[in-house]
Amino acid sequence: MSGGESWGAAHPAAGAAMSGGESRGGAAHPAAGAAPSGAELRERARRAIAEQPGKTVTVLSSLLAAQDELHYLPFEAIEEAAMSAGASVNEAWGVASFYPNFRFTPPARHSVEVCWGPTCHVLGAQPILQGLARHLGLDGEGDTEDGSVSLKFNTCLGVCPHAPAMSFDHQLAGRMSLDAAVSRLERVRSGEQGA
Amino acid sequence: MADEITITIDGQEVKTAPGKMVVQAANDAGIYVPYLCYHPGMKPYGACRMCVVEIEGQRGTPASCTLPVRDGMVVNTKAEEAAKVRDTTLDLLLSEHPHGCLTCHRVDLCGPQDVCLRNVDVVDRCVTCPKNERCELKDTTRFHAQELVSPLTYQYRNLQVETKDPFYDRDYNLCIVCARCTRACDELRGDVAIGMTERAGQTLVGTVMGDSLLESGCEFCGACIDVCPVGALTESAHKWERPSRTEQSVCAECPVGCTMTYEVNHWERVVRAVPELNAPANRGQACFKGKFGFNYVNDKRRIKKPLLRRGGALVEATWEEAFAAAAAGLAGRRGAAFALMANPRNTNEELYAAQKFARTAMGSNNVDVASNDRPGIVEGLQDVFGYFAGTMTAWELEESAVAMVVSANLTEEQNVLAVPIKRAVRAGTQRLIVVDSRETELTRYASVWLRPYPGTDPVLLGGLLRAALDNGLTDAAFVSAHAEGWDDMAASLEPFTLDAVAAETGVPAERITEAARLYAGAGPAALLLGGDSSVGGTRRTTSRIAAALAVATGNVGKRGAGVLPIYHGANDQGAWDMGLWPSSLPGHRFAADAAAREEIEALWGAPVPAEQGAGNRRIFDEARAGRIKAMVMLGDHVHYEDGSLGDVAGALDALDFLVVSGAFASAATERADVVFPAEVWAEKTGTYTNIERRVQPLRKVVKSRGVDARSDLEIVAGVAQAMGADGFAWDGPEAALEEIARAVPEYAGITAERLLRERLDVPAFPADEPQPTQVAYTGNVLTGLRWPVPPEGAAEEPDPFAGILRYGKARLQPVAWHPRPRRSAERPLALAHGRVLIQPGRKPDIVAEGKRNRVEREERLALHPSDAADAGLREGDAAVAVTEAGDERRGVVEISDAVPVGVISLTTLFGALAVEVDASDRPDPMNHIERLNAAPARIVRAEAQPTEGA
Repeated sequence: MSGGESWGAAHPAAGAAMSGGESRGGAAHPAAGAAPSGAELRERARRAIAEQPGKTVTVLSSLLAAQDELHYLPFEAIEEAAMSAGASVNEAWGVASFYPNFRFTPPARHSVEVCWGPTCHVLGAQPILQGLARHLGLDGEGDTEDGSVSLKFNTCLGVCPHAPAMSFDHQLAGRMSLDAAVSRLERVRSGEQGA
Repeated sequence: MADEITITIDGQEVKTAPGKMVVQAANDAGIYVPYLCYHPGMKPYGACRMCVVEIEGQRGTPASCTLPVRDGMVVNTKAEEAAKVRDTTLDLLLSEHPHGCLTCHRVDLCGPQDVCLRNVDVVDRCVTCPKNERCELKDTTRFHAQELVSPLTYQYRNLQVETKDPFYDRDYNLCIVCARCTRACDELRGDVAIGMTERAGQTLVGTVMGDSLLESGCEFCGACIDVCPVGALTESAHKWERPSRTEQSVCAECPVGCTMTYEVNHWERVVRAVPELNAPANRGQACFKGKFGFNYVNDKRRIKKPLLRRGGALVEATWEEAFAAAAAGLAGRRGAAFALMANPRNTNEELYAAQKFARTAMGSNNVDVASNDRPGIVEGLQDVFGYFAGTMTAWELEESAVAMVVSANLTEEQNVLAVPIKRAVRAGTQRLIVVDSRETELTRYASVWLRPYPGTDPVLLGGLLRAALDNGLTDAAFVSAHAEGWDDMAASLEPFTLDAVAAETGVPAERITEAARLYAGAGPAALLLGGDSSVGGTRRTTSRIAAALAVATGNVGKRGAGVLPIYHGANDQGAWDMGLWPSSLPGHRFAADAAAREEIEALWGAPVPAEQGAGNRRIFDEARAGRIKAMVMLGDHVHYEDGSLGDVAGALDALDFLVVSGAFASAATERADVVFPAEVWAEKTGTYTNIERRVQPLRKVVKSRGVDARSDLEIVAGVAQAMGADGFAWDGPEAALEEIARAVPEYAGITAERLLRERLDVPAFPADEPQPTQVAYTGNVLTGLRWPVPPEGAAEEPDPFAGILRYGKARLQPVAWHPRPRRSAERPLALAHGRVLIQPGRKPDIVAEGKRNRVEREERLALHPSDAADAGLREGDAAVAVTEAGDERRGVVEISDAVPVGVISLTTLFGALAVEVDASDRPDPMNHIERLNAAPARIVRAEAQPTEGA
């Protein structure tokens, strides 16, 4: 499991905005490139669930394994996790929707996390995350409309001596300012465009 | 463990049983403890914290719904600390629950014709919430008379009300997250079609990704609605209609015979059905038919007056004219030229009168009931046990270690019978064997699923019996004590070798042995014998073998063990008991038996014909052949139009004279010479006998409005009397029941008055105490009487064999080998159409069409590779299966080894049926649901629709 990614946003309002909106409105997957077919997603999820290394296999461990593989949980993955545990897909959804770390739409191409732990907060995380969100045209956490960047708030990236800290595609960056964040973000984005 | 312990609640000594929770003990003793998430019958949960109490010598305020009683425990429900917790809890609940009902200053002042603050006429409803005054949150808040701490506003969740699914409206703005609905779906029904989603303050009830109930695994049983304490879950029909009274009666949709409480509004409309929590047949459960299928009672398209055919058209007439016309038309067509068909919603009294009329006034044994398309399954049981009936009760099934369901689609047809099976399988106390060529909902729960070629049930069961014998799995002591004919029966099993059976049925030999070992060796085993995939003539053999299998393995007359015939009609058991059958008289006596005839003749004072009459399908064959010239038909049924009784319309056209009683126009009334407007089930009194042989009283739920209708009892008696026949002058169903108790020995001791006295003792609560709807409605639980009827006051069935073995011993019968049915070259395959709640991996599309959702899915016609090769079809081809009756089923071909040779396997979704029934504009759609019997078919490539991407 990739450390930075799995200890993510824990703000209740943020969680609600992510999973809540979808669970009530039905999953709308923004197209990010050529989407793999349902059968392909199911097969990958099934393999990931079957090959979990841990001894104790639960709905939760299966969901984690599937998300590690697919980077999000499509319906097929939730159903496979349920079937592997002999549970109903609605029960598995209860587990999946409980944790804000699970996402149900394909992630954007780049991940940008802003730490808002106490140290980062004191040293100026707030202007960064507000400014970045504005820069990306978001209200808060979320994916940009073009599917290029996922902005997430992180409770602690674990590098307090380097506060305010951020991560760009899971690469840590310290002593950030809003300007530095925006320029790094754009470099990350354009690197993708150049690739 | 002590059987009884004493605890003190609020200073009152209460005797209770270990294992109970404090809230239950208090409720049983009539002490009210407020609660919102607890519900009798469900496991302790502890979500709402309303039932907190103080216990002497214990710190804090534990929730009494999760606190087991201890001897000597001293409970204080009114302690100040607990009251504070409750006040806060209520206040928090109300901060998110729209509570106009509590704050509207006119809520107690509204009268009819007022205009409400919200600018609607207040006629019989309050528009603030669809719970119609049964809200437990409102009642609890009022009961406490607590001051609302928070301002009289609430945070509205602003969620879309879910109204697009059939039967249900779900408004999660009103939800208090007590989780009763999800627990009911999980613990009580075993479906988990809904679950809890998200967490903390966002937690709500929902389905995966907000899916429609049509694809979430919902069987539309309504259990979640029944337990919802607030207005979040409601029936969409009559949503805003407040009942003015309730009446308890018995559902008429299937042979389980669920007791229901019907809510009636003050226009004599049935607006809701709530299953009775403590009724022995259903224990608080119902199904989509019982919960949502009663609306035909309210339909205005009734036949309103007697009709006579004059000059080719039906014209209104008086009852006297109609009786006279019927009598005149029937008079010259007595004997074998006459037949009578009843319907499964007829009461015992009506059925008794009908067969008596056919036999005495018309001199004919041509009588049957429309739903009785598989008499063989009870004839075989009669051959062995002596009665046309099963041997066990519905809820014993929860105690069975094994259940074997043969060719029966319980979830759809006899829904509540599947509930104890699913519960036990999920609890790990039962293993299930399903014998069916179709995929049904129960196959998901099965440890062993045998898929024989349709029509080979008798061979397969014979194979199981032989395997039990060969493997030493029989109970010799039981057999010698309780059975005769063993040697002949055992000898007749000679051809049923494993290999021969495997070859004939297509079921692998090792699976047969596995099933035999499981059935015979795991503990009390129940055998539920349907006959959906059987072919006429073999069912009697199947049922003899089933009975022999049960006897051979000692699985009769013990708790959790027995045989149940799985038929369709709500009162088919009553029809057999009443002798509404071509070969038998009242009391399971044969018309061919001179002594039996004499007994009945003595009672009736009229001769009884001896010759075997024609039944169900043969009646219509005879009519088409011109040998039956006149008929009386009581009511309508799906079998008149689905081909299972042959060409019914053609038969009716061929008749000289037809008398029909019915509530709605039908193909039969169109062809009738005399039409009588009949009362519907909810307008009648009388009795029904359910699958457990339980005779249950039917109550008059509503009066007929604007319809000059009479019961079939009055109609039959009226025609009989117009013909000058004696013995029909009953002054009501009670008097007819009195005669039945004399004519049917098994019913001796049953009177209408005693049926209303046989009830469960359920503590009643003061009306002002908030209670769940099902708890508030219980308290008058009529249990009915299982025949043979115990003396008054005695326990039901002291001797487990009483009422099972008529002749003292089971009479085992030699077994015949029925080769697999030959298929015509034209239709070489059998279409096995099954229905399930969900198919993992095969999610349908849900299309919102107007106000409702619809299921859309490309269906699959699955074939064995060899059949696909014969038909020249490849995987993914678009194909169409065409049956004998001309039904066409389209789909794409799927080639699979799992499908038996010779079978086209098609599995559709229950949601599609729910949509179809809900959207039907027929007056009585539940009476017209097509059955999924296996049918000869051929499969061809679909020409019309070019496939995309195939």
